[in-house]
Amino acid sequence: MSQRTRRWTTLTFALGALALVLALTAGRAVANPLPQAGVSNESCLQCHADPSVTLKLEDGSTVSMYIDQAVFDNSIHGKLGYACVQCHTNLDGYPHPEFSALDRRDLSLALYDACFKCHSGQYERTLDSVHERALESGNRQAAICTDCHGAHDTQQLTDPQTDKLLPEARLHIPITCAKCHNAIYGKYLTSVHGNALVNENNRDVPTCIDCHGVHNIEDPTTARFRLLSPEICAKCHTDPSIMDKYGISTDVLNTYVADFHGTTVTIFEKVSPDAPTNKAVCYDCHGVHDIQSISDPQSGLEFRENLLKRCQVCHPDATANFSSAWLSHYIPSPQHNPLVYYVNLFYSIFIPGLLSGMGVLVVLDVSWQIRRRRAASRANKEPSESPPAPEAPSPGSAPEGGASHEASSDGENHRAGGEQL
Amino acid sequence: MSANETTLATARSGRVRTERTFVRFNLVQRWEHALFLLTFTVLLLTGLPQKYRTATWSQYILATPERLETIRQIHHVAAVLLIMLALYHVGRAVVRLFQRRLSGEMLPVTQDLRDGFKMLRWLLFIDREKPSFGKFSFEQKFTYWFFIFGTAIMILSGLLIWFPVLFTRVLPGGIIPAAKLAHSAEAIAAAIFVIMWHSYHVHIERLNLSIFTGRLSEKEMREYHAREYERLIGESDSPPDGEPE
Repeated sequence: MSQRTRRWTTLTFALGALALVLALTAGRAVANPLPQAGVSNESCLQCHADPSVTLKLEDGSTVSMYIDQAVFDNSIHGKLGYACVQCHTNLDGYPHPEFSALDRRDLSLALYDACFKCHSGQYERTLDSVHERALESGNRQAAICTDCHGAHDTQQLTDPQTDKLLPEARLHIPITCAKCHNAIYGKYLTSVHGNALVNENNRDVPTCIDCHGVHNIEDPTTARFRLLSPEICAKCHTDPSIMDKYGISTDVLNTYVADFHGTTVTIFEKVSPDAPTNKAVCYDCHGVHDIQSISDPQSGLEFRENLLKRCQVCHPDATANFSSAWLSHYIPSPQHNPLVYYVNLFYSIFIPGLLSGMGVLVVLDVSWQIRRRRAASRANKEPSESPPAPEAPSPGSAPEGGASHEASSDGENHRAGGEQL
Repeated sequence: MSANETTLATARSGRVRTERTFVRFNLVQRWEHALFLLTFTVLLLTGLPQKYRTATWSQYILATPERLETIRQIHHVAAVLLIMLALYHVGRAVVRLFQRRLSGEMLPVTQDLRDGFKMLRWLLFIDREKPSFGKFSFEQKFTYWFFIFGTAIMILSGLLIWFPVLFTRVLPGGIIPAAKLAHSAEAIAAAIFVIMWHSYHVHIERLNLSIFTGRLSEKEMREYHAREYERLIGESDSPPDGEPE
């Protein structure tokens, strides 16, 4: 490698590192940059406050170019005093540069990457999302920033101090997703979570994004999502600060992992999270979007016949008894699953007892053997004390069958044997 | 065979010691032990990773659902072999019982309790005399019966968790998780037993290969099974009954 190429390589690396630092810091650069407009919003509104302004698109349709100032002023960007041209950066005068789009959707797709300028962090996370993949594969309806957040009426959703979702935004989320996923929204509303959110304004229940994520929404139909899904439910269901209010056990994950299905599911979590599994995960029994309370009279799993129906989905020949093989998330106790409790109790006494009993006998035996060997080595030094050779039986009297003869040529011990011919 | 060897050795060296050996296990028993050893080892090796599934080492063994399926299949094949072996062992005993040919030498008797206490006293240097045993010492009987009951528990609980839908047609459902627990705990008890007790007595205390060779030397008979030795020697005038059981 020549000196010059090396210098170029170093320079490229330095520039790359600089770009990386800039890219990483850019994501956080949202906090109130002062509006610095070349062109004031008033100038834009001279034309765009007129409801009759339209743009003709290539498919022959027209799209209104009217901006309702009240709506914009009520949006987060309006409130903070941002200028139109901070998003519409190519429009710094009149006449506007030539702009064309195939249709209304094409227009949105052409303009939405303006968000990237300030919200690059969120924008980049969407690049990993199932929506982005759908977009890439040609589905133009897949959600882009403005489909969820709106364009000129964007609302504040998180607390700028804590970065946490604002309480009033929680209600807004399922409605947003419902714009496309309406059937699932319908199911969600019937679920114990959706019902509590909408009818009781409960702030603890999950909305769509608590399970699916926000910008990097994962494909929920993959083997990986299925295998790791118990962790999603466990986020809230192992947290006593949420569950205690409702008297819900926080042992649901432990007990699931300890039982048949969870055992197999969790084996692969670390080593091969992409492994497909047909073992039941939380939502196979409790439902996906239509999750019901276990005490629901229609489908609550507290009732054996409802539980059995769930068992039979995978175990078609299961009988009523079979459903009680599942411990229902209880830790075995004399009240719940006494058989398991007493078997466990037996072995928790039996195994340590066995271990210590055998341990004592073996240790005693070892110590005895050591003493015997010491005694034997002392005796070897004084051969006169060695015991006399045992009396050898005569060949004629040897029992047949039960005992037999075997010969070996053993030089050292030949005197001990009686059969010298 | 023995007589021939004696002659040859005599012709060659002229210095010959004959050692009497005593038949301890017949061929069937030696094969039973070998098969038990094999299936026990395979079952333990394929079962332990499933028991300790949360441990890292086990997760690298189990790794993928295909691998786990293979391990489970090996476990099931070995289990079927063990079940056949157990049925043969029990069946043979039952047949011999009806033929009135079943020897009672493995049955626990009160003498075994006394032997156990004597052994303890001797190990604690209270008694100077080591207790003498019959054909099977109390330790050996304990080992045998531990494995008999352990194998019964393992086979029953194993079948329950292998065919839960079938068994819950008649049995209550709670028996399935109880069987899973028992299968897992009894396996550990058996593993501890083999490692601490059995392998100590047949490898470390003294190397006793009679279960493979079928025979014990006269010296070993005198030292470890004195009562049986004396019985055989005493009987040696009259022909002893056939093969031992």
